[in-house]
Amino acid sequence: MTEEKKFYLTKEGLERIKNEYKNLKELKLAKTKGESPKILHSEDLNPEYLAFQEDINFLDSRITELDNVIKNAVLIRFPRGEKQSVIDLGATIFVEVGGQADEFTLVGSLEANPSAGKISNESPVGRALMGHKAGEAVVVSSPVQTTYKIKKVKYSIS
Amino acid sequence: MKNELNFLIEVGKLKTMPRMGWVLRKINNPETIAAHTFRMTLMAWILCYQKKINVNKALKMSLIHDLCEVYAGDTTPFDNIPSGKRKREFFNEWPRLSKKEKEKFFLNKYKKENKALKKITSSLPKKLKKEIMGLWNEYENGSTQEGRFVRQLDRVENLLQAFEYWKEGKKFKIEPWWIQIEELVDDPLLLKFIKVLEKKINKKK
Repeated sequence: MTEEKKFYLTKEGLERIKNEYKNLKELKLAKTKGESPKILHSEDLNPEYLAFQEDINFLDSRITELDNVIKNAVLIRFPRGEKQSVIDLGATIFVEVGGQADEFTLVGSLEANPSAGKISNESPVGRALMGHKAGEAVVVSSPVQTTYKIKKVKYSIS
Repeated sequence: MKNELNFLIEVGKLKTMPRMGWVLRKINNPETIAAHTFRMTLMAWILCYQKKINVNKALKMSLIHDLCEVYAGDTTPFDNIPSGKRKREFFNEWPRLSKKEKEKFFLNKYKKENKALKKITSSLPKKLKKEIMGLWNEYENGSTQEGRFVRQLDRVENLLQAFEYWKEGKKFKIEPWWIQIEELVDDPLLLKFIKVLEKKINKKK
Protein backbone atom coordinates (compact mmCIF):
# COMPACT_ATOMS: atom_id res chain seq x y z
CA MET A 1 0.00 0.00 0.00
CA THR A 2 2.93 2.40 -0.38
CA GLU A 3 4.57 4.37 -3.16
CA GLU A 4 8.24 3.49 -3.51
CA LYS A 5 9.76 6.84 -4.39
CA LYS A 6 11.46 9.86 -2.88
CA PHE A 7 9.22 12.41 -1.18
CA TYR A 8 10.38 16.03 -1.41
CA LEU A 9 9.15 17.92 1.62
CA THR A 10 9.59 21.30 3.24
CA LYS A 11 10.86 21.33 6.82
CA GLU A 12 7.35 22.18 8.04
CA GLY A 13 5.80 19.41 5.92
CA LEU A 14 8.18 16.80 7.28
CA GLU A 15 7.60 17.96 10.86
CA ARG A 16 3.83 17.65 10.34
CA ILE A 17 4.20 14.11 9.03
CA LYS A 18 6.53 13.09 11.87
CA ASN A 19 4.05 14.47 14.42
CA GLU A 20 1.14 12.60 12.86
CA TYR A 21 3.23 9.40 12.82
CA LYS A 22 4.12 9.80 16.51
CA ASN A 23 0.50 10.54 17.48
CA LEU A 24 -0.86 7.56 15.55
CA LYS A 25 1.71 5.20 17.10
CA GLU A 26 0.69 6.42 20.56
CA LEU A 27 -2.99 6.05 19.70
CA LYS A 28 -2.46 2.49 18.50
CA LEU A 29 -0.56 1.63 21.65
CA ALA A 30 -3.34 3.06 23.81
CA LYS A 31 -6.00 1.13 21.87
CA THR A 32 -4.22 -2.22 22.05
CA LYS A 33 -2.89 -1.93 25.62
CA GLY A 34 -6.10 -2.95 27.33
CA GLU A 35 -8.24 -6.01 26.73
CA SER A 36 -9.50 -6.11 23.14
CA PRO A 37 -13.12 -7.11 22.39
CA LYS A 38 -13.82 -10.85 22.02
CA ILE A 39 -14.30 -12.14 18.47
CA LEU A 40 -17.59 -13.88 19.32
CA HIS A 41 -20.59 -12.56 21.19
CA SER A 42 -22.65 -15.65 22.14
CA GLU A 43 -22.44 -17.49 18.80
CA ASP A 44 -22.37 -14.40 16.57
CA LEU A 45 -19.48 -12.21 15.48
CA ASN A 46 -19.09 -9.42 17.99
CA PRO A 47 -19.70 -6.03 16.26
CA GLU A 48 -17.38 -4.36 18.79
CA TYR A 49 -14.60 -6.70 17.69
CA LEU A 50 -15.20 -5.81 14.02
CA ALA A 51 -15.14 -2.08 14.77
CA PHE A 52 -11.97 -2.53 16.83
CA GLN A 53 -10.27 -4.43 14.00
CA GLU A 54 -11.32 -1.79 11.47
CA ASP A 55 -9.78 0.95 13.62
CA ILE A 56 -6.54 -1.00 14.03
CA ASN A 57 -6.36 -1.74 10.29
CA PHE A 58 -6.87 1.94 9.52
CA LEU A 59 -4.16 2.96 11.96
CA ASP A 60 -1.76 0.32 10.64
CA SER A 61 -2.29 1.37 7.04
CA ARG A 62 -1.70 5.07 7.79
CA ILE A 63 1.31 4.32 10.02
CA THR A 64 2.87 2.22 7.21
CA GLU A 65 2.22 5.01 4.69
CA LEU A 66 3.79 7.65 6.95
CA ASP A 67 6.71 5.39 7.84
CA ASN A 68 7.46 4.99 4.14
CA VAL A 69 7.28 8.76 3.60
CA ILE A 70 9.63 9.48 6.52
CA LYS A 71 12.13 6.84 5.37
CA ASN A 72 12.16 8.22 1.82
CA ALA A 73 11.86 11.92 2.65
CA VAL A 74 14.20 14.42 1.02
CA LEU A 75 14.22 17.84 2.66
CA ILE A 76 13.79 20.76 0.26
CA ARG A 77 16.73 23.13 0.71
CA PHE A 78 16.81 26.56 -0.90
CA PRO A 79 19.67 27.05 -3.36
CA ARG A 80 22.33 29.66 -2.64
CA GLY A 81 23.95 32.41 -4.65
CA GLU A 82 23.32 32.50 -8.37
CA LYS A 83 21.24 29.33 -8.25
CA GLN A 84 18.53 31.36 -6.49
CA SER A 85 17.52 32.70 -9.89
CA VAL A 86 16.79 29.18 -11.19
CA ILE A 87 13.44 27.47 -10.61
CA ASP A 88 13.74 24.49 -8.31
CA LEU A 89 11.65 22.94 -5.54
CA GLY A 90 10.59 25.54 -2.99
CA ALA A 91 10.67 28.43 -5.46
CA THR A 92 7.80 30.89 -5.61
CA ILE A 93 7.30 31.80 -9.23
CA PHE A 94 5.65 34.92 -10.60
CA VAL A 95 4.43 34.34 -14.14
CA GLU A 96 2.28 35.89 -16.82
CA VAL A 97 -0.08 33.54 -18.62
CA GLY A 98 -2.31 34.80 -21.42
CA GLY A 99 -1.86 38.37 -20.21
CA GLN A 100 -2.82 37.53 -16.60
CA ALA A 101 -0.45 37.55 -13.63
CA ASP A 102 -0.21 34.39 -11.57
CA GLU A 103 1.90 33.23 -8.66
CA PHE A 104 2.59 29.81 -7.14
CA THR A 105 5.14 27.83 -5.19
CA LEU A 106 6.69 24.64 -6.55
CA VAL A 107 6.47 21.82 -3.99
CA GLY A 108 6.71 18.03 -3.87
CA SER A 109 3.63 15.93 -4.65
CA LEU A 110 2.72 15.40 -0.98
CA GLU A 111 2.40 19.12 -0.25
CA ALA A 112 0.82 20.17 -3.54
CA ASN A 113 -2.44 22.08 -3.28
CA PRO A 114 -2.99 24.09 -6.47
CA SER A 115 -6.09 25.76 -5.04
CA ALA A 116 -3.87 27.26 -2.34
CA GLY A 117 -1.08 28.19 -4.78
CA LYS A 118 1.15 25.13 -4.36
CA ILE A 119 1.90 23.26 -7.58
CA SER A 120 3.50 19.82 -7.72
CA ASN A 121 6.92 19.48 -9.32
CA GLU A 122 5.52 16.31 -10.94
CA SER A 123 2.67 18.09 -12.73
CA PRO A 124 3.27 18.89 -16.42
CA VAL A 125 3.58 22.63 -15.61
CA GLY A 126 5.87 21.96 -12.64
CA ARG A 127 8.14 19.75 -14.72
CA ALA A 128 8.26 22.26 -17.57
CA LEU A 129 9.21 25.18 -15.32
CA MET A 130 12.01 23.43 -13.42
CA GLY A 131 15.46 24.77 -14.32
CA HIS A 132 14.21 27.97 -15.97
CA LYS A 133 14.94 31.57 -14.95
CA ALA A 134 13.20 34.94 -14.81
CA GLY A 135 12.94 36.47 -18.27
CA GLU A 136 12.44 33.11 -19.97
CA ALA A 137 9.23 31.83 -21.54
CA VAL A 138 8.16 28.22 -21.15
CA VAL A 139 5.63 26.61 -23.46
CA VAL A 140 3.50 23.81 -22.04
CA SER A 141 1.80 21.74 -24.70
CA SER A 142 -1.44 19.88 -24.28
CA PRO A 143 -4.10 20.22 -26.98
CA VAL A 144 -3.46 23.93 -26.34
CA GLN A 145 -0.09 25.60 -26.14
CA THR A 146 0.24 27.75 -23.04
CA THR A 147 3.13 30.14 -22.56
CA TYR A 148 4.36 30.86 -19.05
CA LYS A 149 6.41 34.08 -19.07
CA ILE A 150 8.57 33.93 -15.96
CA LYS A 151 8.70 37.34 -14.31
CA LYS A 152 10.36 36.57 -10.99
CA VAL A 153 11.73 33.65 -8.98
CA LYS A 154 11.86 33.92 -5.22
CA TYR A 155 12.86 31.59 -2.40
CA SER A 156 11.29 32.35 0.97
CA ILE A 157 9.50 30.49 3.73
CA SER A 158 5.76 31.09 3.41
CA MET B 1 -33.09 4.89 12.02
CA LYS B 2 -34.87 8.28 12.02
CA ASN B 3 -31.55 10.15 11.98
CA GLU B 4 -30.16 8.03 9.14
CA LEU B 5 -33.35 8.62 7.12
CA ASN B 6 -33.11 12.38 7.67
CA PHE B 7 -29.48 12.35 6.56
CA LEU B 8 -30.39 10.48 3.36
CA ILE B 9 -33.25 12.89 2.62
CA GLU B 10 -30.88 15.83 3.00
CA VAL B 11 -28.11 14.38 0.78
CA GLY B 12 -30.79 13.43 -1.76
CA LYS B 13 -30.99 17.16 -2.54
CA LEU B 14 -27.73 16.74 -4.46
CA LYS B 15 -29.71 14.78 -7.07
CA THR B 16 -31.43 17.98 -8.15
CA MET B 17 -28.70 20.56 -7.48
CA PRO B 18 -27.02 21.56 -10.77
CA ARG B 19 -23.27 22.11 -10.97
CA MET B 20 -22.74 25.86 -11.01
CA GLY B 21 -19.96 25.87 -13.61
CA TRP B 22 -22.43 24.65 -16.24
CA VAL B 23 -25.25 26.91 -15.07
CA LEU B 24 -22.94 29.92 -15.50
CA ARG B 25 -22.11 28.72 -19.01
CA LYS B 26 -25.81 28.35 -19.78
CA ILE B 27 -25.70 24.61 -20.50
CA ASN B 28 -29.22 23.22 -20.94
CA ASN B 29 -30.24 20.71 -18.29
CA PRO B 30 -26.77 20.57 -16.72
CA GLU B 31 -25.52 17.63 -14.67
CA THR B 32 -26.28 17.62 -10.97
CA ILE B 33 -23.75 17.36 -8.15
CA ALA B 34 -24.90 13.77 -7.55
CA ALA B 35 -24.41 12.90 -11.23
CA HIS B 36 -20.83 14.17 -11.06
CA THR B 37 -20.25 12.11 -7.90
CA PHE B 38 -21.73 9.01 -9.56
CA ARG B 39 -19.29 8.94 -12.48
CA MET B 40 -16.37 10.11 -10.37
CA THR B 41 -16.90 7.20 -7.97
CA LEU B 42 -17.08 4.77 -10.88
CA MET B 43 -13.87 6.28 -12.24
CA ALA B 44 -12.25 5.84 -8.82
CA TRP B 45 -13.24 2.18 -8.84
CA ILE B 46 -12.14 1.28 -12.35
CA LEU B 47 -8.89 3.27 -12.18
CA CYS B 48 -7.94 2.48 -8.57
CA TYR B 49 -7.24 -1.17 -9.17
CA GLN B 50 -4.26 -0.11 -11.26
CA LYS B 51 -2.82 1.69 -8.25
CA LYS B 52 -1.50 0.54 -4.90
CA ILE B 53 -4.10 2.40 -2.88
CA ASN B 54 -7.04 1.47 -0.68
CA VAL B 55 -9.96 1.18 -3.15
CA ASN B 56 -12.60 0.95 -0.43
CA LYS B 57 -11.37 4.18 1.12
CA ALA B 58 -11.10 5.96 -2.23
CA LEU B 59 -14.68 5.00 -3.16
CA LYS B 60 -16.07 6.26 0.15
CA MET B 61 -14.03 9.44 -0.21
CA SER B 62 -15.39 10.05 -3.69
CA LEU B 63 -18.97 9.41 -2.51
CA ILE B 64 -18.77 11.98 0.28
CA HIS B 65 -16.48 14.59 -1.34
CA ASP B 66 -19.33 16.98 -2.26
CA LEU B 67 -21.84 16.22 0.54
CA CYS B 68 -21.07 19.60 2.10
CA GLU B 69 -22.55 21.29 -0.98
CA VAL B 70 -26.07 20.53 0.28
CA TYR B 71 -25.59 23.53 2.59
CA ALA B 72 -22.43 25.23 1.31
CA GLY B 73 -23.49 25.26 -2.37
CA ASP B 74 -21.24 24.56 -5.35
CA THR B 75 -18.21 26.85 -5.48
CA THR B 76 -16.56 27.48 -8.86
CA PRO B 77 -13.02 28.75 -9.54
CA PHE B 78 -14.62 31.90 -10.93
CA ASP B 79 -15.88 32.76 -7.45
CA ASN B 80 -12.19 33.58 -6.83
CA ILE B 81 -12.39 36.61 -9.03
CA PRO B 82 -13.05 39.92 -7.31
CA SER B 83 -16.21 41.42 -8.79
CA GLY B 84 -14.24 44.31 -10.31
CA LYS B 85 -12.24 41.91 -12.49
CA ARG B 86 -15.24 39.91 -13.77
CA LYS B 87 -15.57 41.70 -17.05
CA ARG B 88 -13.94 40.57 -20.24
CA GLU B 89 -14.62 37.14 -21.67
CA PHE B 90 -15.47 35.70 -18.31
CA PHE B 91 -15.06 32.01 -19.11
CA ASN B 92 -12.53 32.12 -21.91
CA GLU B 93 -9.59 32.07 -19.55
CA TRP B 94 -8.61 30.18 -16.46
CA PRO B 95 -8.75 32.69 -13.59
CA ARG B 96 -5.29 33.71 -12.34
CA LEU B 97 -4.66 35.05 -8.85
CA SER B 98 -1.86 35.94 -6.49
CA LYS B 99 -0.79 33.31 -3.97
CA LYS B 100 -2.32 35.32 -1.13
CA GLU B 101 -5.67 35.53 -2.94
CA LYS B 102 -5.60 31.76 -3.58
CA GLU B 103 -4.76 30.99 0.04
CA LYS B 104 -7.55 33.25 1.27
CA PHE B 105 -10.10 31.73 -1.11
CA PHE B 106 -9.03 28.19 -0.21
CA LEU B 107 -9.29 28.88 3.53
CA ASN B 108 -12.70 30.54 3.26
CA LYS B 109 -14.05 27.70 1.13
CA TYR B 110 -12.58 25.13 3.53
CA LYS B 111 -14.19 26.78 6.57
CA LYS B 112 -17.58 27.13 4.87
CA GLU B 113 -17.62 23.52 3.63
CA ASN B 114 -16.27 22.10 6.89
CA LYS B 115 -19.12 23.78 8.76
CA ALA B 116 -21.67 22.51 6.23
CA LEU B 117 -20.36 18.93 6.43
CA LYS B 118 -20.48 19.01 10.22
CA LYS B 119 -24.10 20.13 9.97
CA ILE B 120 -25.16 17.45 7.51
CA THR B 121 -23.45 14.64 9.43
CA SER B 122 -24.56 15.89 12.85
CA SER B 123 -27.40 13.39 13.17
CA LEU B 124 -25.30 10.35 12.20
CA PRO B 125 -23.76 7.96 14.74
CA LYS B 126 -20.46 9.30 16.13
CA LYS B 127 -18.32 6.69 14.37
CA LEU B 128 -19.81 7.40 10.92
CA LYS B 129 -19.61 11.14 11.43
CA LYS B 130 -15.94 10.83 12.38
CA GLU B 131 -15.23 8.65 9.35
CA ILE B 132 -16.90 11.05 6.90
CA MET B 133 -15.19 14.11 8.39
CA GLY B 134 -11.84 12.30 8.33
CA LEU B 135 -12.21 11.22 4.70
CA TRP B 136 -13.25 14.71 3.63
CA ASN B 137 -10.26 16.27 5.39
CA GLU B 138 -7.90 13.82 3.68
CA TYR B 139 -9.51 14.76 0.36
CA GLU B 140 -9.42 18.52 0.93
CA ASN B 141 -5.86 18.58 2.25
CA GLY B 142 -4.51 15.79 0.06
CA SER B 143 -2.90 14.36 3.16
CA THR B 144 -3.06 10.69 2.08
CA GLN B 145 -2.48 8.81 -1.18
CA GLU B 146 -6.23 8.30 -1.55
CA GLY B 147 -6.91 11.97 -0.80
CA ARG B 148 -4.48 13.15 -3.47
CA PHE B 149 -5.79 10.68 -6.04
CA VAL B 150 -9.50 11.43 -5.47
CA ARG B 151 -8.93 15.20 -5.40
CA GLN B 152 -7.28 15.01 -8.81
CA LEU B 153 -9.93 12.60 -10.06
CA ASP B 154 -12.54 15.27 -9.28
CA ARG B 155 -10.80 17.56 -11.80
CA VAL B 156 -10.43 14.83 -14.40
CA GLU B 157 -14.15 13.94 -14.25
CA ASN B 158 -14.86 17.64 -14.71
CA LEU B 159 -12.56 17.70 -17.76
CA LEU B 160 -14.38 14.70 -19.24
CA GLN B 161 -17.75 16.38 -18.68
CA ALA B 162 -16.44 19.62 -20.20
CA PHE B 163 -15.33 17.67 -23.26
CA GLU B 164 -18.80 16.11 -23.60
CA TYR B 165 -20.66 19.43 -23.34
CA TRP B 166 -18.13 21.14 -25.60
CA LYS B 167 -18.49 18.50 -28.32
CA GLU B 168 -22.31 18.86 -28.22
CA GLY B 169 -22.47 22.49 -29.23
CA LYS B 170 -19.07 24.15 -28.69
CA LYS B 171 -20.87 26.79 -26.62
CA PHE B 172 -17.74 27.58 -24.65
CA LYS B 173 -13.98 27.36 -25.02
CA ILE B 174 -12.47 24.05 -23.94
CA GLU B 175 -8.94 25.51 -23.65
CA PRO B 176 -9.18 26.68 -20.00
CA TRP B 177 -9.77 23.08 -18.88
CA TRP B 178 -6.63 21.87 -20.62
CA ILE B 179 -4.57 24.72 -19.23
CA GLN B 180 -5.68 24.15 -15.63
CA ILE B 181 -5.40 20.36 -15.73
CA GLU B 182 -1.66 20.65 -16.53
CA GLU B 183 -1.23 22.46 -13.20
CA LEU B 184 -3.65 20.44 -11.09
CA VAL B 185 -2.79 16.84 -11.90
CA ASP B 186 0.46 15.03 -11.16
CA ASP B 187 -0.75 11.46 -10.70
CA PRO B 188 0.92 9.33 -13.42
CA LEU B 189 -2.16 7.17 -13.98
CA LEU B 190 -4.46 10.18 -14.35
CA LEU B 191 -1.97 11.91 -16.66
CA LYS B 192 -2.05 8.76 -18.81
CA PHE B 193 -5.87 8.83 -18.78
CA ILE B 194 -5.80 12.50 -19.83
CA LYS B 195 -3.51 11.64 -22.77
CA VAL B 196 -6.05 9.07 -23.96
CA LEU B 197 -8.82 11.69 -23.72
CA GLU B 198 -6.61 14.16 -25.57
CA LYS B 199 -6.21 11.69 -28.46
CA LYS B 200 -9.98 11.19 -28.58
CA ILE B 201 -10.54 14.94 -28.76
CA ASN B 202 -8.00 15.36 -31.52
CA LYS B 203 -9.85 12.71 -33.54
CA LYS B 204 -13.16 14.54 -33.08
CA LYS B 205 -11.79 17.93 -34.19
